[in-house]
Amino acid sequence: MLIIQSLVSGLLTGGVYALAGIGMSLVFGVMNVSNFAHGDLMMLGMYLAYFAFTLLHIDPYLSLVLILPVSFLFGFLLEKLFVSRVIHHPHQNQILLTVGLGLIMSNSALLAFTSDPRILTTTYSSSSVMIFSDVSVSVPLLLSFLVTCAITALLYLFLARTRTGMALRATSQNREAAQLMGIDVSKMSAITFGIGTGLAAAAGALIAPVYYIHPMAGHNFLLKAFTVCVLGGLGSVPGATLGGLIIGVVEAFSATWISTDWKDVVVFMLFLAVLLFRPQGLFGKRGGE
Amino acid sequence: MKKILIPISLLLLALFLPELVGRNPYFTGIMINVLMMASLASAWNIPGGYAGQFSFGHAAYFGAGAYTTLILLSGNPIDPLLALLAGVVTASLIALITGSIVFRLRGHYFALASIAVAEIVRLSVLNLQFTGGAQGILLSDLTFHGIDLNSKIPFYYGMLMILVLSMGTTAYIQSSRMGYYLQAIREDQDAAASLGINVALYKNRALLVSAALSSVTGSLYGLYIRFIDPGAVLDLRLSIEIILTAIIGGVGTIWGPVLGAILLVPLAELLRSNVIGDTLISMGIVSDVSPVGHFFKEGLAHAHVLVYGVITVVCILFMPQGVLGITRRRK
Repeated sequence: MLIIQSLVSGLLTGGVYALAGIGMSLVFGVMNVSNFAHGDLMMLGMYLAYFAFTLLHIDPYLSLVLILPVSFLFGFLLEKLFVSRVIHHPHQNQILLTVGLGLIMSNSALLAFTSDPRILTTTYSSSSVMIFSDVSVSVPLLLSFLVTCAITALLYLFLARTRTGMALRATSQNREAAQLMGIDVSKMSAITFGIGTGLAAAAGALIAPVYYIHPMAGHNFLLKAFTVCVLGGLGSVPGATLGGLIIGVVEAFSATWISTDWKDVVVFMLFLAVLLFRPQGLFGKRGGE
Repeated sequence: MKKILIPISLLLLALFLPELVGRNPYFTGIMINVLMMASLASAWNIPGGYAGQFSFGHAAYFGAGAYTTLILLSGNPIDPLLALLAGVVTASLIALITGSIVFRLRGHYFALASIAVAEIVRLSVLNLQFTGGAQGILLSDLTFHGIDLNSKIPFYYGMLMILVLSMGTTAYIQSSRMGYYLQAIREDQDAAASLGINVALYKNRALLVSAALSSVTGSLYGLYIRFIDPGAVLDLRLSIEIILTAIIGGVGTIWGPVLGAILLVPLAELLRSNVIGDTLISMGIVSDVSPVGHFFKEGLAHAHVLVYGVITVVCILFMPQGVLGITRRRK
């Protein structure tokens, strides 16, 4: 039963990783930018959920209704003000710009909220439900997973059915050709960065009830999100979805059978193994690497 | 002639600097930090600046040097120089593994993999027994051919030697065939490969040299501080500080990283030691008890990294070639 227990909790956490990974992969696909501020955007989402809960008394899962539009706007502005200026620069400059933005975010959070870790405790934080008679599932993780599924489904619908979604995919496939077809690619970049930021913040908010909230939490998530993206294939949304679930399960299994201290090492080893044996990832296009 | 005169006079100045400040331990300490960051940034600059391969995990090589040396020396009466060489071996192994995995791929992937490798090293040191875990390693006594190692002065000259070595290596590579290969790779990897340059081989060579130099710097730092833990020598923040130092000075130049260290290290020290806050308060510009005064006194000391972030963003947006790049354009 231990194996099913690990599998279930791994899949549930993996859903949140997938959400973070999808945001990053979308930005990479449309803008060809590796967003090193992604983890810190997740951290901001955690604090937003925390303050919505403690100050406004809004349930962390309901607060997404506020967090998603606010963070979309924040990301949209970040792109317009900063990232758009380096979109034609060498990728090193893009990485450094987002590193700088991330440092500003994490250290502003450090100044504003101090380095004391905070815990978001809801009434159902430590409750769990039993499935298959002897597998317990934590309620906050289950709720996170369900909300993640809903957001992912909405995103797929948006990308597949709306004009803007199709324009985004076209830009992702070929920026120049999309521009020639009359798509406003710079607007698409801003929208994409907004969505990416929204998804990062949502992932942060969703994981906030089961994680320590502190200003440097982003570092760890950044690497996880990268692992998810590379595993799925940089730029691929379905790849990132599957990649997130795989990383969640790998992490849960190594925590159970190796040790909690080494679970991140196993994840990063997997990352290097992907680069070694299948650098284009599960769903990536060949040649880009 | 002029080309040689400036470096020589700067070197003479550096040689007599400890005497000029009257062997003041505080200033000597800051100058050691300047030399250390300068030599780390110079080492980073070889693959980063010349070949365009941005490593985000140079703390791993620095830490590998520091850890190997201190682990070997604690309890074993061996020559510190041997322990230092062992550090170079460890760091080179890490560089070879990283390089052989990712150098077939493009820049994005190297940046990501270098962080992953550095995190694996940091987490391993944190969780293993013989590395001392989170407590780190303390070196109680140290002897080296009769030199008094309780003073900071020998370490000042040691760091200066390593910086000269790093800069000399950079200058040698820059003027050699390899320097042109690396720059060709930076400008266009495919074009470089099509001209017959073994792209992966030269990237690997550049990283290997860089890792070895960083490791020597780390070993000397370990001997100087005599206490290291994963947070101090293996953290991602150190890797980022190394990059910023090179970027702000100007990448792909011999003097850029040095200039970056001369600008950044004292700035960090000013912020950390509360000089700015104390001056503003003592001049009566801000009140000690006001929120602004509190911010300067308490907050800013913890947030020198915030200032680094602002500098990076401004630097990338307005002067991506660094300070040296700006002076060059004027000429």
